Amino acid sequence: MDRREFLKASAITGASATLAGCGHPEHQLIRFIPEEELVPGVATWKPSICPLCPAGCGLLVRVMEGDAEVVRNGQIGLIKMGLAKKLEGNPAHPISQGKLCVRGQAAIQITYHPDRLRHPLKRTGPRGAGAFQEVTWDQAIDELASKVGALAEANNQGALAFWMRPSRGQRRELVAQFLHRFGAPPPFSFELFGEDVLRRANALSFGREQLPTFDLARTRYVISFGADFLGTWNSPVSQNIGYGLMRQGRPGQRAKLVQLEPRMSQTGANADEWLPIRPGTEGVLALGLAHVILNGRMRSADAAGRAGTLVDGWMNGLPDFTLPHVETLTGIAAARVERIARELAESAPAVAIIGGAPLAQTNGLFHALAVNALNALVGSVETPGGVFFTPIPNASSKPDAAGERERRRQSAAPTLDKLAAGILSAERPPIQILLLDEANPVFAAPPAWRVKDALQKIPFIASFGNFLDETSILADLILPDHSFLESWVDDVPEAGTTMAVASVAPPVMKALHQTRAMPDVLLDVARRLPRLNPPLPWQTFEQMLRASFEALPARAAPQTTPGVQPAVDVWSKAQEQGGWWAETPAGTRPPPNVATRDPGRPVSFVAARFDGETNEYPFHFLPYASQAFLDGSLAHLPWLQELPDVVTTAMWSSWAEINPKTAERLQIAQGNVVEIASRHGSLRAPVLLSPGIAPDVIAMPVGQGHEHYTRYATGRGANPISLLAPIVEEETGALAWAATRVRVSRVVGADLQLILFAGALRERPHEHEGR
Amino acid sequence: MAVDLDRCTGCEACVTACHAENNIPTVGDTQAARGRALHWMRVERYWEGEFPDVRLKFRPVMCQQCDAAPCEPVCPTYAAHHTDEGLNAQVYNRCIGTRYCANACPYNVRFFNFFNPSWDKPLHLQLNPDVSVREVGVMEKCTFCVQRIKAAEVQAKAEDRSLKDGELKPACAQACPATALVFGDLNDPESEVSRLSRSPRGTKLLDDQGTQPKVTYLQRQSSE
Repeated sequence: MDRREFLKASAITGASATLAGCGHPEHQLIRFIPEEELVPGVATWKPSICPLCPAGCGLLVRVMEGDAEVVRNGQIGLIKMGLAKKLEGNPAHPISQGKLCVRGQAAIQITYHPDRLRHPLKRTGPRGAGAFQEVTWDQAIDELASKVGALAEANNQGALAFWMRPSRGQRRELVAQFLHRFGAPPPFSFELFGEDVLRRANALSFGREQLPTFDLARTRYVISFGADFLGTWNSPVSQNIGYGLMRQGRPGQRAKLVQLEPRMSQTGANADEWLPIRPGTEGVLALGLAHVILNGRMRSADAAGRAGTLVDGWMNGLPDFTLPHVETLTGIAAARVERIARELAESAPAVAIIGGAPLAQTNGLFHALAVNALNALVGSVETPGGVFFTPIPNASSKPDAAGERERRRQSAAPTLDKLAAGILSAERPPIQILLLDEANPVFAAPPAWRVKDALQKIPFIASFGNFLDETSILADLILPDHSFLESWVDDVPEAGTTMAVASVAPPVMKALHQTRAMPDVLLDVARRLPRLNPPLPWQTFEQMLRASFEALPARAAPQTTPGVQPAVDVWSKAQEQGGWWAETPAGTRPPPNVATRDPGRPVSFVAARFDGETNEYPFHFLPYASQAFLDGSLAHLPWLQELPDVVTTAMWSSWAEINPKTAERLQIAQGNVVEIASRHGSLRAPVLLSPGIAPDVIAMPVGQGHEHYTRYATGRGANPISLLAPIVEEETGALAWAATRVRVSRVVGADLQLILFAGALRERPHEHEGR
Repeated sequence: MAVDLDRCTGCEACVTACHAENNIPTVGDTQAARGRALHWMRVERYWEGEFPDVRLKFRPVMCQQCDAAPCEPVCPTYAAHHTDEGLNAQVYNRCIGTRYCANACPYNVRFFNFFNPSWDKPLHLQLNPDVSVREVGVMEKCTFCVQRIKAAEVQAKAEDRSLKDGELKPACAQACPATALVFGDLNDPESEVSRLSRSPRGTKLLDDQGTQPKVTYLQRQSSE
């Protein structure tokens, strides 16, 4: 806003306030009274939690007074209020430790996004057309409550479904308890880059059904199988902090990083040794390393304990994984495998990491179990410099541990493909009412699952999301949530620290628009349902959070003197510092959080299956989590659209990465448009020649290609998920998103541009070679 | 400032942090394709070798705050000038947009506003009130977050003490998870940044240009 506009707006609001003020002056005045604690020009810092990925980094938000144009009771007014100005890491928080990643810095644009939904909407046109009309909150909540109530009347409670993004805090617990008391199935989540395979493997190997935490700061050797742990995978901020220390944190001692992946990721770029391994053979290499270590008597097979016995032939020294055989399967030279194995065994503490594409093969669980066994063999499980599991605090808001029950049922819950198929084949869909909370499965699922067609068959869909996306545009009713900065937020990080952490933060600013917090709307709906048995005990989400934090032990205070237990107000302290955290007492291991299941027989290597014949579809297709957009859920933020991807420097677009030699053979040049086709779909994208990709692999970042996702992302680029085959990891049923094969052909005359930052600053072509 | 390339992972947290702190506008796809995107802080990347023996190296580049800055003598209006503290300052109100400074700068860290910046409402509410928004025809560049430096100096003066090492950080260094970016007072030989600048791994970017840059790059090491 410039000065002139500001004066105009203040004049208008001043006048309207005076005029309208004649009726109920007290109502009108209150709107224009500034928040008292704010001093103009002076910043205050308030804690919050980054909502963008499951890492759950703690934030500090810079809040300053500003003038916001808001609509209240149908009137536009200029109001002085505290506005979030910048996000930084919370130095006290065990995950982020005062730091933040590229995406977290941009999260603030969610709150101020011009295309945020500003009030409740009801569909007017045909489904998916995007025609909505504004309704009041009373109308919206009445409608939702009556629809849900009608299900209860018809004794059909099981036909209510709630799809949300995965989270581990009280927000999910509230939804779970609501559904449980209503008689509906637990909340459902589907993520393209879900981590079900790794969680299952860790449950089998170590009795911990969660993602691992790596003590990079104290390790001497890291071998990573496809995990982009410095870019997008697991808990990037805490892993970057650890990486800085492992390289230059200890004078004279610098840890080595070996990365195995067919396309050089941001993490691969930082490796001392980068090895393009054949896709789907990562576990073979891990066992090849173990074979060398066992046969060279550098460790005994017993050292791996349970994790070792899960692998076929482990106790016999893995006779199937001799070096020549490993070389044939993986494409990594035998001498190299042997050297790395020796380095790994001699450089204790060492740690092996697996994540990303290897787990998204049809034999993903095998790779994860192999890497787990390797970690156990070199003695790096729950030891300094190795792999740890974050203790999960018992922050259950009793009286009813629906969460535990839910987790048990969740393991038996159907996968998205089965769910969609069930809806499509049924005369009367098993889901009559679908509630959506920011989940976007229409964008994130392979087209062959026909998720969109399935949703079309559901009679009533309500969405709580902040934005219209491919899924929420199908909604009949939209009840937009506050942004994370405007609401109570909480989270229980799954990985990234060895401390038990439960984060919580109050709103840092007032709501800009006429939105309401989803948990409070749900509680409101619950109150209108006579048959909820027993009723939910909380009036507000804040009450629920308070109850859960007051149940936590009060020993988080660092100044505690031994023997004296001061009366610390856990709830106040947690709000003030952004959460509750407690060090695990030295020498104690957190107990397993799942009953160790017997996997039946030990796992052995079965070659990965790929969709598409090799002669017809000669390339592996590798979609990867983009540095800017992750799985595409951040494509609506303009800062991230204009962020030059660090490996390619591309902005605002999609691109396909091809090895220069391959491109030469196909007579394709940088910037040429190609058609990439699988058995299930095709797309067009400009080619980017990348020296760091195997000749038989085509890679594309996930994130662009949205049909509906605000003015910044809609109709931009292509969605690589649209090529994916409906092929799953065989043991877990998780989508094997790296198991599709494609063919490539040049398209002449297509108008798609590669937008690069490198070389664009000044036209000096002779200097651009190699950049 | 010192940049430890052995710690830098190319995560680009510094890039968005800089946008957020300094009210840098986005220009959109068409203008970005013409090379008009504004990134005071960027992470350059260099490919070496051929598949499979290929290396990729990152280098964060911002204004090097040269002691013999080529941008300064060419400015006809003294918009680009040297402050007492040794910063290359840009006075936006003096700038008439000749772009001589951008031509003279060997680091390509000066950016020209081809348009008046705009923010789709209400994105403008996020703007940092401590930093002025630059208009069309004006050159802009990294300031080492001079507003943060000034604020910390004022605070220290009010408390009648001198600045402590590490007390203030530009937005990029504040965000950097791997602590690759270290900011401080080069005149204080005891400061962390002085210690790092004396490292045997230390180099200056395009040192042979005679610009005397104040940013030291500590070379990446190898464990092979």
